[in-house]
Order: sequence, then C-alpha cells, then structure tokens
Amino acid sequence: MSTPTVRTRNPRRYGMVIDIDRCTGCGACIVACAAENNVAPGASRDNDRTSISLLRVFTIPNPEPVGRRAAFVPLMCMQCERDTPCVAVCPQQAVELDPMTGIVEQMPQRCLGCRYCMTACPYHARSFNWADPHWPSGMEATLNPTVAPRMRGVVEKCDFCQSRMHAAQDRAAANGSLDPGQYTPACVEACPTQAILFGDWDDPASPVSTAGDTFAWLEGLGTKPKVRYRSRQPWVGAMANRGGAAPRKEESNG
Amino acid sequence: MFPGVDGFHWSPVHIVFLTAFGAVLTVLLITLAMAALRTWRDFRNGCAASIVWHSDFEDLPRSERLCRHAFEGSAPGRVCDRGFDCRACETHPKLTAIETRHPAPLTAGLHYPEGRLYHRGHTWVEPQPDGTAFIGLDDLGARVFGAPERVELPAAGSLLAVNGPAWRMARNGSEVIVRSPVDGEVLAHGAPGCDWLLLVKPAVSSAPFRHLLSGAEAGAWARAETDRLLLLLSASPAGAALADGGALMPDLRQAMPDAPWDEVAPAMFLNV
Amino acid sequence: MADIPWVPAAMFDRKFVPRGAARCGTAQFSLWLTPWFFLLGLGLWAGYLCLRDGLYHTNMDNRFAFGLWIFLDLAIIAFGGGAFFSGVLLYFLKLKELSAVIRSAVLIGFLCYSGAVTVLMVDVGQPLRAWFTFWHPNTHSMLTEVTFCITCYLVVLSIEYLPVLLRNRQIRKIPSFLVFEWELHKLMPVLAGIGAFLSFFHQGSLGGLYGVLRGRPFAFRESFGIWPTTFFLFILSAMAVGPSFILLTTRLVEWISKRTLVLESVYVKLARISGWMLTFYVLLKSVDTMVWLNSTSRRGGFLPWEYYSWEPFGVWILFVEIGVFGFLPAVWLLRAGRVPTRSLVVPALLACAGIALNRYVLTVQTLALATLPFDEFLSYTPSWQEVAVFGGVAAYGVIVYSILYRYTKLFPQER
Repeated sequence: MSTPTVRTRNPRRYGMVIDIDRCTGCGACIVACAAENNVAPGASRDNDRTSISLLRVFTIPNPEPVGRRAAFVPLMCMQCERDTPCVAVCPQQAVELDPMTGIVEQMPQRCLGCRYCMTACPYHARSFNWADPHWPSGMEATLNPTVAPRMRGVVEKCDFCQSRMHAAQDRAAANGSLDPGQYTPACVEACPTQAILFGDWDDPASPVSTAGDTFAWLEGLGTKPKVRYRSRQPWVGAMANRGGAAPRKEESNG
Repeated sequence: MFPGVDGFHWSPVHIVFLTAFGAVLTVLLITLAMAALRTWRDFRNGCAASIVWHSDFEDLPRSERLCRHAFEGSAPGRVCDRGFDCRACETHPKLTAIETRHPAPLTAGLHYPEGRLYHRGHTWVEPQPDGTAFIGLDDLGARVFGAPERVELPAAGSLLAVNGPAWRMARNGSEVIVRSPVDGEVLAHGAPGCDWLLLVKPAVSSAPFRHLLSGAEAGAWARAETDRLLLLLSASPAGAALADGGALMPDLRQAMPDAPWDEVAPAMFLNV
Repeated sequence: MADIPWVPAAMFDRKFVPRGAARCGTAQFSLWLTPWFFLLGLGLWAGYLCLRDGLYHTNMDNRFAFGLWIFLDLAIIAFGGGAFFSGVLLYFLKLKELSAVIRSAVLIGFLCYSGAVTVLMVDVGQPLRAWFTFWHPNTHSMLTEVTFCITCYLVVLSIEYLPVLLRNRQIRKIPSFLVFEWELHKLMPVLAGIGAFLSFFHQGSLGGLYGVLRGRPFAFRESFGIWPTTFFLFILSAMAVGPSFILLTTRLVEWISKRTLVLESVYVKLARISGWMLTFYVLLKSVDTMVWLNSTSRRGGFLPWEYYSWEPFGVWILFVEIGVFGFLPAVWLLRAGRVPTRSLVVPALLACAGIALNRYVLTVQTLALATLPFDEFLSYTPSWQEVAVFGGVAAYGVIVYSILYRYTKLFPQER
C-alpha cells in the first residue's frame, strides 16, 4: 500500500474560495496568519494601516432591510494570474509569479522598499515594514522557525504559507514522491467554520474547483485573481459587480 | 543579470534597454575623452594660450572690450568680438579708412612717445631694424602698479603667445599678469633701471603688429584708459581723484594706499 | 542684496567673485545663508531619524504608500525640465536669447534632480539596495526606466554645469581647466542631445508610473504601444512648466539681488515658449480626460463621477487644474510682449501650480480613492519629518545656488 512514486511535478494553480456566508468575522484567521508568519506585535503608535496586515477582514453592512445585517470579507493577496500588477512594476524583480505553483512570490532580500507594488495592487493586499519588528522579551519562543522574519523597509504579503508548502514537498520527497499532495495554509486551518477553502484550481477534485459559483472582486480589472468568493446573498454579489467605494468599516490584525 | 543565474533570462527587451543605456554612457564617456584629448592636443600644438585668452576675453567686462575705433570716435561704443585680433577683422580696414587722425593732446602728464606700438594690456613694443623688438610697461601701467616687489620674467628662449602671460608683477600680496603684446621668442631680459623688460624676436607673420595702437590712436586710448582708471577708483571707498586735469602721480599705489588695488590693477591689465 | 546698514559691507572673499560683478559683503551673504543652513540641518536630522529608525516617522502607511515626498519629487523634476528643454531650444533650435539663462537653468536642473534623488534615498526602505535595480532590471517596469534615466541624466547635468565652475575666477587660473572647458563647450550640443533623449524618457516614464496602474482606475489611461497617455502628458507638461520656472527663478534672483540679470526679451521668449507648450498640453489633457471619463474608467467597472464625490476632492479639482492653472496661464503667457513683462510671474506661478496639482492628483488623490466597493476614502497629512526633509532639500538648493551665483557668472547679461 505504498504511495506510487511520482517522477514529474505538475504545475499547480493554488487558489482559494472564501464563503462569505460562513465567515463570522471572528478573526481567528488573522491571528493564525500573524502567528504563522512571525508578525511582531505592533508598537503603541501603530494602527491598522501601519501594521503588517497580510490578511484583513472587512465588515460590510447590508444596505437592504432584508437578510443578515452584515457580511464579513476576509481579504488577502489574490495571487493575480494575468498581468500581475505587482510583478510588472517591481523595478528589481523582487516579485515573481511562480509558474509551478501559481503563487506570487515576494523576495524580501531583494526588495528596495520603493512601495510601487503597494500602489499598484488593486486589493491593497501588501504591507510595508515601517519599523523593525520587535518582540517583547520571552515572545521569541512563539516564533515559527520555518518562516524568516523581515526587517524594516521591505514589503510583504500573503504567500499562501509557502513554508508549509515546502514542508509538504520535503515530506513527499522523503517518501520518494514529487507530488506534495495537499497542504493547508494557517488561515484555512484556523477558521472554525471552514469558510476558507484552499486547493489547486487545475485539479477538478479540489475544494476550490468544486465550490460552485464564485465571483471575484474587481473582476473588471482583468487581473484574474485566484482567490474567489461565494455568497448566496444577492446584495453581496451585486456589490461585487461594481467598482468604486462606499464608506465601510474595516477590521484587521493591527 | 547573468543568464541562467537566479532564473534570469535575457529577452529582446533587455537587449534593447541595456543597449540604449550602454550607448548613452558610451557617448558620454567618449565626449569627455574627446574633450580631454583635444585639450592635450591644444597644448601640444601651442593653441592653448590663444584659447585661454579667448575664454578670458569673454569674461572681461564690457568696458574693457571696446574696439580700438571706439576711442577715435569712428565707432563709438563698439565692442570687439574677436579678442582684439585686428589682423583677421574685416571691419578694421573699413573703419581705418574713414577715421580722421588728429594728434590729440595727452592729459594727466602721460608720456606715450612716437615710434612705439602700444598693446591694450599696457605694454609697448619698439621694433628694431634687425627684426627684434623691445617690450616694456607703458606709462599708465607703470604709474598704476608703481614699484613692484617682485617681477617674474620669462626665461630666455621661451615662447610668448600674444595676449598670453608675458611676465608677472607682485606687490603687497597681489599679483598681476602682464599680457604679451606679440607672438615671439624671448631673447634677453632688460637690466634693472632699463626702460625695457624683454628683448624678443617676434614670430614671422603677415601683420605682426596690426593689433597694436600707435600715434594719435594710442593717445586717445590712453585718455580713455585714464578715465576708466578714475571710474574704477571712484567706485571704491578711496574716492575720486584727479578732477582738475593735473598730472598723475608716478606711483598711484603709494599715493592712494586705501584704494582696492587688488581689484583695480587686474582690471587695468585685462586680468580676469 | 539691498545692503543692511548695520552689517559690514566688506567682501573678504572678493578674489573668488567674478571681477566686475557686484555682490554684497561677505557678512551679509553669511547672514542670508544662515537660516537656510538651519533648515538644512533640520532636514538632515529628520532624514537621519527615518534612516535610523524606519519610515514610521512619516505619516505614510500601507494605504498611502506614496506621500508628500513622491508628490514633491515629481513636481521638482517637472520644474527641472527647463534644463533639458532650454538646452534643446538653444543648441538645436538656435534660440540665442536663451543663452542668457542656460547656466542658471542647468544649475537649477542639477539641484532639482539631485534633491529629488536625495529624498528618494530617504523615502525607500532600503537605500543601500538602490543598485539592485541596475543589476536585476525589470524592463517591464516604468520605475526601472526612471532609475536608469535619472541616474544618467544627473551625470549629464553635472558635466553640463562643469564649464561654469571651471570659469570661476580662481579655478580658471589653471590653464588646462580653461582649455578643457573650451573644448567641452564645443561638444555641448552632444550633451544637450543626450540630455533631451534621457529627459524625454524619464519625464515620460514618471507619468507612465501611474498610467499603467490597472488597479487604480483613477490613474489608469489608454496606451500607445507600451506607453500610457500620461507618459506623453508628463513630457509635455515638463516642457511647458520648465521655461515658466526659469522665468520665476530668474525674477526671484533679480528681486533678491536687486540687479537686472537678463534682458526683457528673454522673459518674453520664455513666456511665449511656455505659453505655446502649455496650450498644447491643456488641449491634449482635456482630450485625454474625456476619453478617460467616458471610456477607460468605465471599462474597468468604475463610474468616473464617483471619484469626485469625496470632498475635498470634488470636481472643482479637475476644473482648477485644467482651467485656472492650465488654460488661463497659457493664454496670458502667449500674450507676452503685449502685457507688462513684470506681470508674467503670475501666469508662470499658476502654470507651476497646475503642474504640481497634476502630480498631486496622480499620487495623493489616486491613493486616497478606494477601489474595492466596501472600502473607504482615506486621508493623509504629512508628518513634520516629511516636511522637514523637503525643507532641507529646498534649503540645499538655495544654499548651493546662492554660492554659485556669488562665485560664478550664472547670468552673462548681468548688469
């Protein structure tokens, strides 16, 4: 009953489908993301816009009198597939769309900190290290050894927990297989209602491919985000079809 | 940047991009190198002195660049545009033909004897029958500078370029470069007490002295230079002098020690 | 400068001052420089804080990744465009009047670009990595193009200014310097040509930075080839505002030094050139704005008038930029020669304000506007460190310009 040895690695298109109806806005995903990615606690001067917010959860009040009062939308890097804005604009190629995984990789060691990618990102999914991270004494014990902390002056973003993907690849290779199988990013694992589904869009059996009808925010921009959403509430879908903004409250792990 | 390293791949866009910038930098370097090479060649060919003079001439104030014909009145206010090189000037023969020469009385007791040719830098040239020429400081120049503490004459055998540095005089810590009136080779120095400072062999040329002033023209110029001197002195805190037509003192620097001679002297000798 | 009675008028540095040039006493000059040195010191301190601790000293954040520094950088690079444009007009189109201001224009260009680069070194998170752009260039990014061009252009400007320095009263005593200056000056058209080529591309690419942002429909524009319309509009606006800025600065220096530095005809020429370029720019910008409002923005799913529903960025900004700061100064400048020349500083100032407003709109206003339908309009105010750094850059410009005005002949027509 040993796993058949796979000698070729097929390219994957990792993506997510987030069920807005299931999201309760509890923020467990935010905490898990911060813990997994060694995000330091913010200084007292920090707010939601100056802290590292790789994953944010927006609250949208229902404009209609019918239905739920609000919806919650977790938002992270969409891993855009087409004309990826941040890849195109980085002056020193510190951002790359990996064709084998579909993940948009960020190289903090090469990042100049010009923040042009942050301006280019339509989803505002990128965070800048406005200061060096500082962990209170004793908190170093909670650091995740598989993820390198970033110094100040560089940009970072959600990378679908690549360290977990590499760990899965290592385990598979140890078993003689090039196919890492499934791996689970921290936010997917932490969500108590399993609102975040993760998988390979190219795999017809993956949770994302079998998720049914989905929509993406700002689809008209044509960047083909690989993080899509679903909701049975019509007012949520209607909002997705328009651009522009209405004032709404935003929550994040600031 | 190297193909294959860190997954880098060359594409046609890279070639175009880097070629464009490489071309720009190359052209910049070549431009600088050419300027440097031409500079070296100018020194080798002996053109450097002429170039320095033309640069200096451009930065002289307008009042020091007046055409020689402005003094006689045939072209009042005309400014020279070729560094006092009357040999190649097309306007010079035309203006010479129309101007009338009246021997004008010299004022202020200045002594500008006939038989000598005068350079705008306040030197005189006295050509000799054997083809050599004596060079000395003219009367106004001698009175303006007075007795120098130190005079550096060019060595015998060295070459002079017209309008280039001939000799240097220093007094009270300030120095003036006296411009050479002719192209030529230095043959001998004048002894102390001599009227002349250099004996030169002027370079062979079609009109080696055309740019020099003589006779009534020199007198008119000397008068204008006296006026210029008074203007320079009156602009200074030392105040105006010589309003009544009397004679200039033989050593003005000694007579007016408070005047800004480190500005006035270079102005009189066409130093920038 | 007008003499201050209680300050001694003696010039202790007279031997560095061009002969025949009237300058104020050394004590008075030092007095003039003193407050600027304080401002420079404040700027250096603020910059040091940012380099030592991180950019949290600014009020920029993850949503306002670009702030005051980028906006002012773009503005002063546009103003410094007078250097390259004057070079083209003088050396290639042979407009001889501009030789009266070319030295000042080149110096101002150098100060603007060097100031902008200095601010950028504080603005980026990791300035020591600046060379990465040269080693790992991303040819698809407009910012790579900007980096290469501006670096080369700074070199060109330094070489173009060198002749003026070499003609300083003391430096010229070394004859090889004067001869080198002469030979270099004969090759000036080559440098002017390279400068024009580089300027064309970097002024344009600075516009291209925003025009390609698909994710910011407020800034995104149609493209000709790989270049969005903002590429061409930025070049045009730099050519339009450059002569106006030269006019303004020359008038300012005349006012401070109480001397006439150029003939009236030079002002009239500068104003007319600026007027024509500004007219052309305003026309093309209006066309571009209509296309963007009616076609480009809608195709991205954005209703254009929604952008202007957030006060204070109402529709008035659009009309002020194109009308009050665009069309009005263009018409006024075109009438140079028929209106009092002294009045031309007003339209020149309006033109500069218009270009600055344009840069502001593309940086700060673009970032203030939300893109996601559940997002909100944001606001940003610069911190004192940001203002201080730019104050320091302005002080650096004034100090260097003042020193070079005193010791070199910046204005050959000076009376």
